[in-house]
Formats: sequence, C-alpha cells, structure tokens
Amino acid sequence: MAKGSGSAAIQANGAQLSARLIVGALMVVAIALMTVPLLMTAYMSVFADGVVTFPPSGYTLSWYGKLAEFPKFGQALGTSLKVAAAATLLSLLIGVPASIALVRLSFPGRGLLNVLLLSPLTVPGVVIGLGLYVLLVEVEIRSELPLTGSDGVLILAHLLITTPWVVRLCVANLIQLDRSIEEAAANLGAPPGRVLWSVTLPMMRQGIVAAALFAFIVSFENIEMTLFLISPGTITFPISVLQYLEYRFDPLVASVVVVQTAVIALLLLAIDRYVKLSKVV
Amino acid sequence: MSQDAYLRIEGLTKAYGATTAVQDVNIEVSRGEMIVLLGPSGCGKTTTLRLVAGFVEATRGRILVEGEDYAALPPYRREMGMVFQSYALFPHLTVAQNITFGLRMRKLPKAEIARRLDEVLEMVKLTPMADRYPRQLSGGQQQRVALSRALAIRPKVLLLDEPLSNLDANLRQSVAREIRQLQKAAGLTALMVTHDQDEAMTMADRLVLMSEGKVQQIGSQEELYEQPLNPFVARFIGHSNLVAGELVDADTFRLPGGAVLKLAGRYTQRGPHTLALRPERVRLHGPADDAPPRATVQVEDATYVGGHVDYLLGFAGGGSLALHEPTGASGSARRATGETVTITWDGLSERLFGSDDAAVAAQAA
Ligand SMILES: Nc1ncnc2c1ncn2[C@@H]1O[C@H](COP(=O)(O)OP(=O)(O)OP(=O)(O)O)[C@@H](O)[C@H]1O
Ligand SMILES: [Mg+2]
Repeated sequence: MAKGSGSAAIQANGAQLSARLIVGALMVVAIALMTVPLLMTAYMSVFADGVVTFPPSGYTLSWYGKLAEFPKFGQALGTSLKVAAAATLLSLLIGVPASIALVRLSFPGRGLLNVLLLSPLTVPGVVIGLGLYVLLVEVEIRSELPLTGSDGVLILAHLLITTPWVVRLCVANLIQLDRSIEEAAANLGAPPGRVLWSVTLPMMRQGIVAAALFAFIVSFENIEMTLFLISPGTITFPISVLQYLEYRFDPLVASVVVVQTAVIALLLLAIDRYVKLSKVV
Repeated sequence: MSQDAYLRIEGLTKAYGATTAVQDVNIEVSRGEMIVLLGPSGCGKTTTLRLVAGFVEATRGRILVEGEDYAALPPYRREMGMVFQSYALFPHLTVAQNITFGLRMRKLPKAEIARRLDEVLEMVKLTPMADRYPRQLSGGQQQRVALSRALAIRPKVLLLDEPLSNLDANLRQSVAREIRQLQKAAGLTALMVTHDQDEAMTMADRLVLMSEGKVQQIGSQEELYEQPLNPFVARFIGHSNLVAGELVDADTFRLPGGAVLKLAGRYTQRGPHTLALRPERVRLHGPADDAPPRATVQVEDATYVGGHVDYLLGFAGGGSLALHEPTGASGSARRATGETVTITWDGLSERLFGSDDAAVAAQAA
C-alpha cells in the first residue's frame, strides 16, 4: 500500500464516521418527535388535578378507573371497532381481487381502474366527507330513508379510504412476487383458479396482513371524513375524544387516549408474531 | 427421423409488437433425446421454451407431441415438466409438498404420491430435506427440488431454462452430469436452454444454435464444430477467426489492407468472402516457405495460459487472427512481439463463406 492511499483511507473513515454521527442524531430526533407527545399524554393521564396544570399537585392512577365515565366511551369504541372491522373485511374482499387483476391481467380500462381505486388517497378527507354528506342528504330527501348516521353508510364511506390502502399494499406485494412461481404451478397441472388459491394468495399473505392492518387503523382513527357522517346517537371513538376536548381538558381524556394507543400497539404486536411487519410496510 | 419425431416444432414464430422474438423455428426431437437450444442473450431461447410450455401463445406455427397439435392446450394440460431459471419453488410449501404438487393436481392416490415422492427424493438425494422449506436449502439443493418436482409428474417433455446458471462454477459440472444421467435413465425427451457453449456441448444429443430469433444450425457437436453453416456458427462455436477478404483467384485471398493468404486452390467461386479459421487448427512457423495454405503475419501479443500460448497475430495493413499453440510437445519457445512468422493450416479445417453467409463449396482435393 502506498502512503497516499493510506491517508485517503483514513479520510474516508473520517467521512464515514461523521456520516454515521449525522444519521444517528437524525434518528434520535425522529424518535423523540414520535414518542414525546405520547409520553406527555401518558404523563398527564396520571395527574391528580381535575384540570391539567403544571406542575401537578400530585399523581394518581384513578383516571383509569373512571374510563367508563368518559361520555359514550363504550358506544364510541364499539362503533369504531365495528366500523373498522367491517370496512377492513370489505376492502380486502374488494382490494385483493382488484390488485390481482391489476397486476396479473391486462384488460381494457385497467389504467382507469387503477386511478379510480387509488384516487381517494389524493383527495383530502374533508372534501370526501362533505361530498358524501351533500349526496346523502339529497338521496335522503328523495328516498326518505334515514341514511345519515347509520353504521352502514359509515362503513361504505370508510371503504373509500381503506380500499386504496389495500390495493396499494397488495399491488406492491404482488409486483415483487416471482411470476414464474405461478407459471410453475400451471406447468404442474394447476388450472388458473387453483393457481390463485394454492399459490398466489398464500404468497400474498404478508401483503394482505399489512393491508388489513392499515385499513383497520386508517378507518379507526379517521376524523375528517367521519365528522360529516355521524349522528348524535352514534359517534366514533376519535370524535368522542374531540367532542370531549371542546368542553374540558382533564387527565381523563389523556388516559382514554393512552388506552386506545395501547390497544393498537397490542394489535400490532400480535400481528407481528405471524408476519414480520418490518418486511411488509 | 421426420416420421417418428416425438416433439415437432413447425414454423414457430412469436412477435412482440415490432420485435420478433422467435422466427420460423423448426425442430424435430426424437423420443428420449436431449436437445439443447444455444445462443447469445436475447436470441429467443427462453421464448421458444415458453411457447412449448404454453405460457405464451405463438403468432404462427405449431407444436406437436406424438402428432397431436398442442396449440389449443393450456399450460396446465400440456404435461411438460419445466425447470425454471429462478427455480420458482413454492416458498410456502415444504420440499415434499413442492415435489408432490403436480401429483396432487393429478389427484393420484395417496399411496402412489408417497411412493413417487420417495422415489424422486431418493434419486436426487434429498430425503433428509423433505420437511424443509425452500429458503432453508442451498442453491444446489433448491435446483434439485426444482428438477425433481418436474420429474415427479413424469412429463412428456422436460423443459430446462438455464438450469445451471444460478449455481457456482464448481457445482455446475457435477449437476450437469447429474441432470444428463437422470434424463437418460428415465428416457425423457428434453429441451434445454443455455447460453454456455461448454454446457451445451456436454449435455446435448443435438444442438440448436439460435441467433436473433432464427435457427442458425441444428446438429451434433461435431457437425456444428466441423461444418458450421455460416460465419455466425463458426464464431459462436469455438470462436473461429473470421477474416474478411476477396478470393481474387483460386489460391489468393486478399484482405482489404492488402495482405494475402495463399490458399490451396480449392474454390471456384470468386468475390468477397469470409474465411473462418479455428485458433487451435492454425500452426505457427518461423519465416519459412511452407506449402499453402499459409500466410505471413506479425506477432502482436503472446500470452502463456498453461495448456497453450494465446497468440494475437496481425496482417500487414490491418486485420488480425487468434492462434492457440499447444505448449510443451514441440518445445517451441514463445515468439517475441513484433516477430514476423508464417502460419499454416490444413486446408480441410478452413471454411469459406460467401457474401450471402452460405458456405462456399470446396472441390475435393
Ligand atoms: N414479454 C415480452 N415482451 C416483449 N418482448 C419480449 C418479451 N419476452 C421476450 N421479449 C424479447 O424477445 C427477445 C428474445 O427473448 P428471450 O427471453 O427469448 O431471449 P433468451 O434467448 O432467452 O435470452 P437470455 O439468454 O438473455 O435469457 C428479446 O429481444 C426480448 O427482449
Ligand atoms: Mg432466457
């Protein structure tokens, strides 16, 4: 080794080191940005005072015992879970076959279908919600059916925002699957339906799980669009939190949010046991 | 031969828009024969195989197995066992499930499935791996699963697309031999694709050399090597030197740069020609006056590579030629760069091609 290349190597090492430091620092900042609000909420949820003030006069876990006193806690959580589960299931039923058709078949209108399925991702939720609301009112007036505020309508509306996610994740998953594996199945005697059932769908498992997860969370936490479609009798969980915050700001709402976050985190952990999420998202 | 062809490919053509991937390919394969499709990248080998398997629809032409036209048969009813370049194993199934997939599709009785599974596992020595998943196997083992999966269905034709290209060099030869033995033992008719000449030479009963979608020559190893039908074949098989020039009289072949090769006067057809000479069939002498065919050249480069010395020789006025001289036997020393030497060769080992690329017939000596 010549001297010149030795010093160049040291310089390269130095550059590598500083690059690593910068990346490390950025990661710390990113993690802080993500966790600080959550930690603050968790912190506030154990304040003893009825109104959030700094510094708190003491600490208590009693807010967690009063969760049931949160207005409409049970109804809102129930509605949210029900709507999210139904929207997830339905969007899988629509999105999985649609993405297989988009990736594996070529047919007239394929491009259009792709745009239609993905476009809700590009429209703000408020716009969709308002549009749907106006439409519903019009239909209601003409048909005299009580549509606004029904769970069915809410589920259908959520399909608009969950299906694009399902299609996006399933398409991404399908594109990276080796096409020749399906050809091998056909070559070994499997007719198209059998190829789909025995090879394509099992290979898509990770994508489908990820899609279901995203669909569920997107539906569960949606506020902008849902706001237009609920009735006073049935509201969703995030909206109950929002409404509560309009009048009061006490540790109870913080504890409610902590419980909600914990439920979703547990869900993710449970799914991660079956499918490594880091691989699919 | 043409009467009892087991697999017949007739006028097979596949166009993708403006590009013709496969053009008017005709191949006849006898029962139990291993045909190797050989050619440079993009010449249409894989497309030909996929046409036979039924994954792509032919633009024109027919594929017949035992006289039956396969055009209307979908891939899942063709009973062709294909080994894919990427192996294409089912990642969610174990080795045993991969191998029995085709048997289960055929709804064979359980006992028969188990019997055949044991048989092929034994054959490819994978019995201890039966319950593993593909990702838990080495490349060579995955390759054997892919092969046994295709063999298990007892296919009418075994199709192999570059089956060795993902193996490391050490493994390639032994796997090649293994595939060949299995194919012979089972009496299977097989169509294999490769771009590797050595691989093709060792595995084939007959070779099909393709270029730009067209068949250039079909024949045995000897036929392709000794009697190439055109300059492409001569260069692709064994890297013949192709020297362009003009046959001005019976024994004078003049290069554009003015250099002259003395031939033995065996040709009558005059005009622009291409002379093909095999590097290992040309001999090197000092500046002597040997009997024709011969030429005078200058040593441009000499590389000792063990078994022989690789020479690069230049003609006066342009044009060059590669020559391999065996080391040892003659004790000949390596020539110095710049030295002027005479080269000679046996007139029977040269091939002359006309401007239409067809071989120019030589008169019997
Ligand atoms: N689906 C397709 N659409 C368009 N063109 C294609 C398609 N498949 C193959 N081709 C073209 O057809 C030609 C032959 O391709 P093919 O895959 O048969 O080559 P090959 O001989 O197998 O080459 P390689 O040795 O690189 O695998 C190429 O020019 C390729 O670009
Ligand atoms: Mg190929």
